[in-house]
Amino acid sequence: MKTFAELGFPGRLIAVEGLDGSGKSTQIYLLKRWLELQELKVYFSEWNSSELVKAATSKGKKRELLTPTTFSLIHATDFADRYERHLVPLLRAGYIVLCDRYIFTAFARDVVRGCPPEWVRGIYEFAALPDLTFFFKSDLEVSLKRILDGRPQLKYFEAGMDLHLSTDPYESFRIFQGRILEQYLAMSTEFNFLVLDANQVVERQQGVVRELIAQKLSLASFHRAERPPPKLPAEPHKKPVAEEPVQ
Amino acid sequence: MKNLTRNHIVVPHRSERRFYGHGIPGVDLEQLAGKLIAVEGADGSGRSTQIAMLVQWLEGCGHATTQVGLKRSTLVSEELERAQEGNILSRTTLSLFYATDFADQLENIILPALKAGFIVLADRYIYTLMARDMVRGMDEAWLTNLYGLALEPDAVFYLNVSPEELVQRTFAKNAALDYWESGMDQGLSRDMFDSFMKYQTAMQKTFRRLQGTYGFTIVDGMRSAQVINAELQKKISVVLAGK
Repeated sequence: MKTFAELGFPGRLIAVEGLDGSGKSTQIYLLKRWLELQELKVYFSEWNSSELVKAATSKGKKRELLTPTTFSLIHATDFADRYERHLVPLLRAGYIVLCDRYIFTAFARDVVRGCPPEWVRGIYEFAALPDLTFFFKSDLEVSLKRILDGRPQLKYFEAGMDLHLSTDPYESFRIFQGRILEQYLAMSTEFNFLVLDANQVVERQQGVVRELIAQKLSLASFHRAERPPPKLPAEPHKKPVAEEPVQ
Repeated sequence: MKNLTRNHIVVPHRSERRFYGHGIPGVDLEQLAGKLIAVEGADGSGRSTQIAMLVQWLEGCGHATTQVGLKRSTLVSEELERAQEGNILSRTTLSLFYATDFADQLENIILPALKAGFIVLADRYIYTLMARDMVRGMDEAWLTNLYGLALEPDAVFYLNVSPEELVQRTFAKNAALDYWESGMDQGLSRDMFDSFMKYQTAMQKTFRRLQGTYGFTIVDGMRSAQVINAELQKKISVVLAGK
């Protein structure tokens, strides 16, 4: 597997990975703001967010219809949709694409759920590797606390309740997330994760993220082209072309 | 009413089972006592007619049956239908969506039915899904890994009907060719008739190729429904007897 840079794409893909509650979404949001404020071409994509597939996923989750195999496949479908329709074209157009979770989430979760690792990896073989992957490494207790502070209850699949590890959702979450952490750590070297200490305060982590990105990417090359002010569209109801992508 | 005595009801012979690849985690193959029979073929090849006749016959022989087919899962069938209507999904996405639909039915219908000793009749199986993707240039190794989750059926029949005959049968029913069955998404020809012929010819070629790997039975679908069904019954009887 190759990175987008190795494949000759002008764009770069940056992924963040980590446990639920590791604070990675906050970090990638701040990263996006930073890049946007520099007038760079940025696009953000989130795990499990393709419109069409999402309906099926949430139905499956709500009604607890999903097995490890269908859980894996439906997330792969969601990923493929975003990959083929958004990520690849934007990377071809020279964007910095930020992904909140990438294929490693599937590699870790699906394997913990009992899917054969080679099968899961085979399915995602169509995807190129990120150019940078940040792994937010947090203590289980810290993650658990962050999740619980934000929401009153743990979700069924988030807590890994489908694996029947424990009838207590908190205990189940602890065991499940612990196993996912093991999977992440095992992949860390293989996929060159940039490991960040997610137990630190937000600002300190963001400082490290920005510093690493400034080092590893020549950010100036991702500047938005100077564009003339938008002309009045010929048809009043049509949006002007070359707008920023919808997020 | 003759044939109703217990003596005439054949208990299907247990045979060895395997998944094509990695399979479904946590399934005990030993417990799958029933039989899985797949019928493949293009639209208009007579699949549904043959399956309906087989159900009559099997139930008459005292076997419990259940049916599955593509795009019938509780999980994603509606979404899949909508996606196809809009023609908005890319190839890999559509392929994985179909695989999800298949896996859902495999785990929630096929495997439990086999466990309960039913004869499961599949109106199309993974081969159609693979052939459609292969014709569209998807990587065969990728598909083989993906569909390694599937259980090997006890028998697979491919109803072979020439594209010329498929056109005639379709028009006798609908007076219109189906967009997907004509392969219109591939830009083979702007003429729908031409596209249909090219696409169906390519599909047949791919099926013959898959036959080499999966060894299914090719049945001449140009004959009358009764003659075809008699052949299927004969072959299925052999499977049930475990010969």
